[in-house]
Amino acid sequence: MISFINVKCTFHKNAGVKNLNFSIDDGEFVFLTGPSGAGKSTLLRLIYMDLFPEKGKVLVRDFDSASIKDREIPFLRRKVGMIFQDYQLLKDRNVYQNVALALYASHYRTREIKSRVYSILNQVGLGHRVHHKPLELSGGEQQRVAIARALVKEPIVLLADEPTGNLDPRVSLELINLLNKINKKGTAVIVATHNYSLIPRVPGARLIQMNEGEVTSIT
Amino acid sequence: MTILWFLFKEGFKGLIRSKYSGVFSIFIITISIMILGFGYVAARDTLFMVENIRAQFDVDIFIKQTASNEDIASFEKKLTQMEEIEHLVYISPEEAAVKFKNEFGEDIFDILDYNPLPPSFTIRLKTIYRNLISVEAIANIIQSDPIVDEVKYRKNFLIILEKYQRIILFSVLGIFAVLTLISITLTSNSIKMTIFARQDIISTMKLIGATNLFVKTPFVIEGTLEGGIGALLASLIIYGFFYVQNTYLQSFFDYRIVVSYRFYIGLFVLGTFMGLVGSKRAIKKFLD
Repeated sequence: MISFINVKCTFHKNAGVKNLNFSIDDGEFVFLTGPSGAGKSTLLRLIYMDLFPEKGKVLVRDFDSASIKDREIPFLRRKVGMIFQDYQLLKDRNVYQNVALALYASHYRTREIKSRVYSILNQVGLGHRVHHKPLELSGGEQQRVAIARALVKEPIVLLADEPTGNLDPRVSLELINLLNKINKKGTAVIVATHNYSLIPRVPGARLIQMNEGEVTSIT
Repeated sequence: MTILWFLFKEGFKGLIRSKYSGVFSIFIITISIMILGFGYVAARDTLFMVENIRAQFDVDIFIKQTASNEDIASFEKKLTQMEEIEHLVYISPEEAAVKFKNEFGEDIFDILDYNPLPPSFTIRLKTIYRNLISVEAIANIIQSDPIVDEVKYRKNFLIILEKYQRIILFSVLGIFAVLTLISITLTSNSIKMTIFARQDIISTMKLIGATNLFVKTPFVIEGTLEGGIGALLASLIIYGFFYVQNTYLQSFFDYRIVVSYRFYIGLFVLGTFMGLVGSKRAIKKFLD
């Protein structure tokens, strides 16, 4: 589903990634680990094509980083869900509006948007928080809104960049359990983290370790 | 339909969400439209004044003393057939003497024993012929008639008038072009500030797979609304100013400002257009 072929992507002070050669299959759960600056976020940005390789190419299903046109990128991003450490929710909109935005952007009809949003919010346990604004929610709840927003368009893969970075250990655990549940329903999940304690919580997950922009081991 | 409704709603809501930066954009547009509106009326009335002066422009044709009444009648007929002439007045030697007395206060017969004033015609040309080239050409045609002694008109007056009219016209066009550009740039910059304050929406929308058109449409709608509101405010202020001038100050300045509803429609269209262009320019920067 996702392939990195001889990928090199560096920017200032030589940060970035190099010599990336691996694939991720449909429905896999993958942990990307490594110290800060190892290239984890760069790797994720290459998948949703926020960055492009200087050498090699990234394939995400039929989307090829070497030949994709600017106008095709939104269509790739509708198939890739993303969550971040800082949640990236719109603070002036309530939970429903934040989640629904993803469907409006994908041109869904109002009726379908409504049913999908309520359904996904119930799945992530936020059915009772629909009309709350992000700042009225806890960090864990905000991250679950972000997950709902990423999942509502039924992506093939969910990318999580340090999703537990702002959460306490208990909530972090709840979150990783939720991601595991999502993965079991068939969505591939790639989590970039340096919180090693989370890894044993997902039995069977693949671990890709990175350092200084290179993959040092895949287990 | 869902998408269109959503984008329009977003545009309207954006106006409310933008708060101070939105108010600042509206303020800038209001000022810009006011400058353009007042500038337009000032330029229009200046040119109108010049045209009015030009409208007073007459050509005098002096007939030879030896011409008979029949010759004069036939010449008058010729003049009335000239399509360049708007109207003409015949002044007989007797009428000229009366005019002389009215203007100089003395009877010509007290100064001389006879009336030396020749018969004459005063003609006024149609508007399009009230320029130096046409007047010279027409004067030459008339002068070539054997009955005509002399054709007189204020040539220097026409030269000066045309020179100043050209200067005024080019200055007005230049100032207008510069003002419009400045207004669009100011509008664009103030809308850019509004968008800058809400960059998170743009980055979030791009992350969730929104196309550039989807991202920019609410901002363009918002900018267009700001333009329309700014223009409405400017129109109200200009209307108020003209009302005060025409009602209370006219006796001081002896100047009545007349504008039709089309002027206000024009300002509204201009403001809306500035908001539209300004916001399109502004959002482009954030999408590249």
